[in-house]
Amino acid sequence: MSTTAPAPTALDVSATPPVPFGRLVSVELRKALDTRAGRWFTGSILALCLVVVVIYALAAPTESQSLGQIAGVAGGVLGYFLPVLVILMLTSEWSQRTGLVTFTLEPRRPRVIGAKLVAALLLGIGLIVVALVIAVLGNLIGGGDWSVEARVLINGAVVANLIAILTGFAIGMLLMNTPAAIVTYFIYTLVLPTAVGVLSALQDWFDKLAPWIEFNTAQQPLFMGDYRLEGQEWAQFVTAGLIWLVLPFVLGLMRLLRAEPK
Amino acid sequence: MITVQSLTKVYGAHRAVDDVSFTAQSGRVTGFLGPNGAGKTTTMRAMVGLTPPTSGTVTIGGLPYADIPNPGRHVGVLLDASAQHNGRTGREVLTIGARTMGLPDSRVEEMLDLVSLSGDEGKRRVRDYSLGMRQRLGVAHALLGDPSVLILDEPANGLDPAGIRWMRSLLKSYADRGGTVLLSSHLLHEVEQIADEMILIGRGKIVAQGDRKSLLSGGAASALVTSEDNERLAKALADAGIATSAAGEGLRADCDPAAVGRAALTAGVVLTDLRTGSAGLEDLFLSLTADTQREGHPSAATDQGDRA
Repeated sequence: MSTTAPAPTALDVSATPPVPFGRLVSVELRKALDTRAGRWFTGSILALCLVVVVIYALAAPTESQSLGQIAGVAGGVLGYFLPVLVILMLTSEWSQRTGLVTFTLEPRRPRVIGAKLVAALLLGIGLIVVALVIAVLGNLIGGGDWSVEARVLINGAVVANLIAILTGFAIGMLLMNTPAAIVTYFIYTLVLPTAVGVLSALQDWFDKLAPWIEFNTAQQPLFMGDYRLEGQEWAQFVTAGLIWLVLPFVLGLMRLLRAEPK
Repeated sequence: MITVQSLTKVYGAHRAVDDVSFTAQSGRVTGFLGPNGAGKTTTMRAMVGLTPPTSGTVTIGGLPYADIPNPGRHVGVLLDASAQHNGRTGREVLTIGARTMGLPDSRVEEMLDLVSLSGDEGKRRVRDYSLGMRQRLGVAHALLGDPSVLILDEPANGLDPAGIRWMRSLLKSYADRGGTVLLSSHLLHEVEQIADEMILIGRGKIVAQGDRKSLLSGGAASALVTSEDNERLAKALADAGIATSAAGEGLRADCDPAAVGRAALTAGVVLTDLRTGSAGLEDLFLSLTADTQREGHPSAATDQGDRA
């Protein structure tokens, strides 16, 4: 303090490497789980998953007991709530205003968003693994066989959850507000398919149109029949996916890159 | 060193920041003063790239903020102490910052000690923090990376008098070590005691800048005096060619206090109070921003009755 150092006018940044991407990812993972909301929500999803699996193991008829089927149940519960966790990772930056710090410590925003996406996917993979462990436990209780239809497992545990994570990510980016994003997500996943189902039952022309314009409907072939998309189903999956996943994702990305954190 | 050049930010028809240019030198504390909504925060946000300017540039140590690698290691920023996740503990908030900057976790404890948030307070959630504690946490966060430049928006807001004194000595010693400190305030007395240099802003425009002395040098000499016989004193002053006017319980004389004392001695009037009445920085601040103030300028700010 007493030695008056020559006041530097220029910053010497030669010895400072940029923040590595991996560090951003690990920080985003930590941020997803270090709040009471994040921790409780993650715990609740897994607890719910366990409860549903145990009930299924105890109540489902013998012919429905197999590792593959029970894993589908566990993955389904997870896929339902996983997007909310992803939404929180994005919206808390705005609703809790932490974006002020986040985007100041790393001003290159695409890197922050990329780190969040990777963190969301890693978190999703981690939870899928835990859900599969729960499914194994459930199958032990239910005493089902250990057969697994690979395609069901991939569709139910991986594809569905990947879509769920990306959907949550898109909604979170687009709305930047926790309550609005969560409500929108549940309207999208609960209310919309029901409304489409009702309309399809009433109007024949809408029944034909629905898989083209409603993503939940377009995904149904993944979980029915031979669990694969064929011909027109692919076209419907892509079209509806463009409308409900790609478009919101791109718009959300544009909004997030431009927004001024307040 | 922070250099702001012709910075302008327009929101629709509102010019939040209008052609602002100034420099915050290293080794000095620069106070950024202005009433609420004058454009201080917008200017500071533009400095760190959160608000893209309509025109103009800001460089920190010669670099645009976005070009500074790992900026937390070079520039400490506190824009809003309340902008922290309520569900995190104070320690966790700092841990996230330290991890992002690549600092050891021991740095977190050092900073908590530095701002006196040690022990249990660090383990409490930000939700349960008072505004003063949030400010201390925010300052700790800004200092985490041992930066050479500090940008603090209203850091004294919510601090108790002891906290303000603590903040003052902290920033002063920081600048003495060669650091650049830019802090904003809407309260003049928070800033005038530590700032080597002051920038006054009103309605998006810089209205004055300089050190305390040069900002005050423009004011005409004036003295506030109370005596046992104000009438006789006024007459004595008038005889000496000095104009007076009534001010509170006493008089305002358009001269320095020594001239009043001399006149009183000659006239044999007992003075009960005599001091300089030259417009303080506060009056200057208020008058400079008078047309930009929401409440207008209280004209009698230096009247004796208003001063303790």
